Amino acid sequence: MSTCAHTWSMTDIRSGYLVMEGCYHCGARSSFFSLEPVVPIDEYREGEHFWEHLGGYQAVTFNLRCDTCGELVDLHDMTGLMLSTCTDPRCDVGRLALELGKRTSIYVALCADSSHASGSCVSDAGVLALSEYFNQRLRSGRRKIVVVPCKMCDRIDRCEGIVIADTGLTEFYATPARPSKEGDRA
Amino acid sequence: MKISEVVDKTALEALNGWDDEDLAGVYISDMVSDIITGANGCGLLLTLQTHKSLIAAANLVDVGAVVFAHDKRPAADVVELADKAGIALFTTPADTWSYAVKLFELGMR
Repeated sequence: MSTCAHTWSMTDIRSGYLVMEGCYHCGARSSFFSLEPVVPIDEYREGEHFWEHLGGYQAVTFNLRCDTCGELVDLHDMTGLMLSTCTDPRCDVGRLALELGKRTSIYVALCADSSHASGSCVSDAGVLALSEYFNQRLRSGRRKIVVVPCKMCDRIDRCEGIVIADTGLTEFYATPARPSKEGDRA
Repeated sequence: MKISEVVDKTALEALNGWDDEDLAGVYISDMVSDIITGANGCGLLLTLQTHKSLIAAANLVDVGAVVFAHDKRPAADVVELADKAGIALFTTPADTWSYAVKLFELGMR
């Protein structure tokens, strides 16, 4: 086990596309990162799955390297980060948010297989390095960052949060209606 | 440079409450994936993007203040999220390039 107090930097920063696919046979969802200039949208069979293209958006992947000891943490298993807004005490992430309070922001590291059927998720080493990296970058002292793997969510598909992704950024979304003022038209 | 100095000298309109913190630099981007790999802590982020995802990214990298160019204004829930994160939001009628020039002339890099 390393005794280095790591100082992390981003490395291997690559711009590409996060491609999402679904199996129309069993309903499974999967995603992968593509560096191709034209995003592949082909349907294909892989074992029992019949994958079809569901969508994609511009994304960036990166790894972390320690400036002191050179250790590299591979983050290829992470497809994105989500700021959790969950406060559900039945969910481990929600419980953690309630315990840590408002000055701590919890970010969920998302893996490619939201069902976790394969048993894998973003690695423990990756989650730890991400937490250390983002906290090392904080200068204001206003907040603390905690990164957790998405397998910690009770139901990741229903989990409340804001995904940091370059998709849907220009779409309308519903906002709570403002109380009407006197004289406003109905 | 303090936020108050930038506000006064570039005629920014505040969209929420703010503390007068030091700004360490400037980053310009409309892509949230770019912000988390490029923006530095306590900097000013100049953008056209008003989505909630922008605040999630800005919070992660400790952005000190966000300036929306072209008089863009985020929805109330975005302002509320920025309030919770302690991120100051401002708007300027200037376009991104014109406002970037103003910041450069102020000595910000």
